[in-house]
Amino acid sequence: MEGHERHEIVLDSKPVKVERVHVDGLGRTKDDIIVREVKDVLNSTSFEDVILRSHHAKTRLERLGIFKNVGIFIDTSKGPEADPNGLEVTFEVKELRPLTGTANTMVGNNEGSMVFGVRMPNIFGRAEKVVSEYSYSNKQRSSFAVTFMKPLHGNPDYSTPGGRLNISGWKTVRHFPWSSYREVDRGVASEITFPLLGQQTLRWEGVWRELGCLTRMASFAVREQAGHSLKSSLKHTYVVDSRDDPILPTKGAMFKLNQELAGIAGGDVKFLKEDVELQVNKELVWDTIVSCSLRGGIMKPLKGTSSRINDRFFLGGPTTLRGFDMHGIGPKSEGDFMGGEGFWAAGLHLYTPLPFRPGKGGFGELFRTHMFVTAGNLFQPNLEDMYNYRDHWARMASDVRWSYGVGVLFRLGRIARLELNYCIPGGARTGDKVSESVQLGVGVTFL
Amino acid sequence: MSSLLADAAIVQKMASEPWPDDVCLYQPYKSNEVGTADSVQQVLLPDNAQCLAVQCYLQMCGLPFRTVLRTNAEHMSPSGKPPFLRAGPYVISEVDPIIKFVSTKGHSLSDKLDRPQQAEMKAYLALVQGTLGNAELYISWCDPTTASEISRPRYSSPYPWPLNTLLAYRKQWDVQNQLKALGWYSKTLEEVYDEVDNCCKALAQRLGNHHYFFKQGPTELDALVFGHLYTILTTPLTDNSLADIVKEYSNLINFCRHIEKKFFEERERGPKD
Repeated sequence: MEGHERHEIVLDSKPVKVERVHVDGLGRTKDDIIVREVKDVLNSTSFEDVILRSHHAKTRLERLGIFKNVGIFIDTSKGPEADPNGLEVTFEVKELRPLTGTANTMVGNNEGSMVFGVRMPNIFGRAEKVVSEYSYSNKQRSSFAVTFMKPLHGNPDYSTPGGRLNISGWKTVRHFPWSSYREVDRGVASEITFPLLGQQTLRWEGVWRELGCLTRMASFAVREQAGHSLKSSLKHTYVVDSRDDPILPTKGAMFKLNQELAGIAGGDVKFLKEDVELQVNKELVWDTIVSCSLRGGIMKPLKGTSSRINDRFFLGGPTTLRGFDMHGIGPKSEGDFMGGEGFWAAGLHLYTPLPFRPGKGGFGELFRTHMFVTAGNLFQPNLEDMYNYRDHWARMASDVRWSYGVGVLFRLGRIARLELNYCIPGGARTGDKVSESVQLGVGVTFL
Repeated sequence: MSSLLADAAIVQKMASEPWPDDVCLYQPYKSNEVGTADSVQQVLLPDNAQCLAVQCYLQMCGLPFRTVLRTNAEHMSPSGKPPFLRAGPYVISEVDPIIKFVSTKGHSLSDKLDRPQQAEMKAYLALVQGTLGNAELYISWCDPTTASEISRPRYSSPYPWPLNTLLAYRKQWDVQNQLKALGWYSKTLEEVYDEVDNCCKALAQRLGNHHYFFKQGPTELDALVFGHLYTILTTPLTDNSLADIVKEYSNLINFCRHIEKKFFEERERGPKD
């Protein structure tokens, strides 16, 4: 536009008409999904409107996750038939390469892993993608997974709640030293996520699970669980999250419900499993935040089966019931933790910024100190006698483990946090693996 | 290495303890077993031979034990092969380790043999496991008719679809690879029958008209031979060629009848568990 004469134009009042919208740089992307995202620009009535609508279209195009970058050019219409008030909007896009490889490290709940991945964004031209990942962790865990993701109509977004369909297949090898077993899973799943009063996920998965003893010295109760099982289950997850941040929230609440019905349409694993999670954060004075979490779950084996060790609940560890080792409480057999068919856990935190606020507004914001009290228990629910609340209460209240302490938190990006805590456990029973004094934890979810 | 060390530690520790009361022998489901559905007919020719040999040996030693049937016996076993013995805190699988374990408890049937006899017995043990054991594996998993009509359906019977098909083919593939490594996979069925015949001939000659292979009394060789021959004679297969080979040797048949009568039928009249 350089070299043109300068005019003074009042942009918001000048009536304009967008005559054409060009999208340059499209290769394998199909027209229909692009048209859907950009056609709103044609409805512009003023120049300011053109800019706003173009900007929204750019954001939507970027959210498809198929372009490296998106640029906007607005120019007056040219050609013999051009309207004097006509505009042409051009989106210059650069598609992502059809095949990209990645290698990175990842932190999960108290483990670190190397992840190698191959991505095929926009594989069929409608913002579908195939992601394949291999990871190997320091806990002898390895996994391979292939996932096909397709955004559902009108919800192009992968990262924030929106409708999408995922189809995946995987193989994982995991070691469970606290229970002396090793599990190899091979599975396929298909899941659909959509917003409805929060975010709903419906998932069917079929998993072939192979259990083996980790050592010769594994307890006989664990040895009895060795062998193959097939789980075909329907899972429903419901999340409402109003927190401002999942790792170091300052306000808001989160509610999560997980339910799983195994044994539908085949398989020899049959159970119903429910668990809920609630977290409420409230800001007090001087950037002090009080956070309260509550979790609980229960499962019932169906049709005369008994629950398997790999389906039961476990509790304990530096990110849940602090002051105890990873999955280090509950019923034991010859030194191996057997898990429970019910659990509850609660945590109360008082988060404060670092004392004297070093690095305020910058690096220091990645840190918090906290004081905490956590409590919880694994129990064997008696679901034959459903309405005997006194009995349920007694089972939940007996042998409660608890701990309290202080610690420092460090935020690792937007997905994980690291905690260094000094813990004082209480209520430990014989056999529990207590981790008194300093405990280090890395994780993505926290009690 | 660690398992060798663990074994050594176990052997040392258990020598000091007597035979426990609660010894259980875990093995896969057989047909017509009490308390099981008819559809669960899991155990196969090779596994049944090993299970029967161990049962026979324990009977010969006069040691009390209880047989426990589990569909996942193969996966529970530390070596991945049934049967296995649970004695107090110890879990021991397969014939040889079980015989060794029993001898650490002070029960041995081969102590009474002199050195040359012991060496001879070891040679026959190797012959029997090497020939009859591999022949059973070959017929179960490498003969297409037997594999498709008997072995795969039985092996997969405890599992739901589609795991049953998958696991049966995986097992077949594993066994075939094992036999390839041993040079058995390339044999023809006729060659396998010849091997079995040669083995039976050798056994029949050694046995003569005696009740046991050694004049001092029953040994682990008798238990092992009984396990294999009795299983071959009584397991219905697609055709009877294998059993017919054994039936040629009347002294081996008599040997099986005698052992069955002495160590199984007589015991069963006693307190049964």
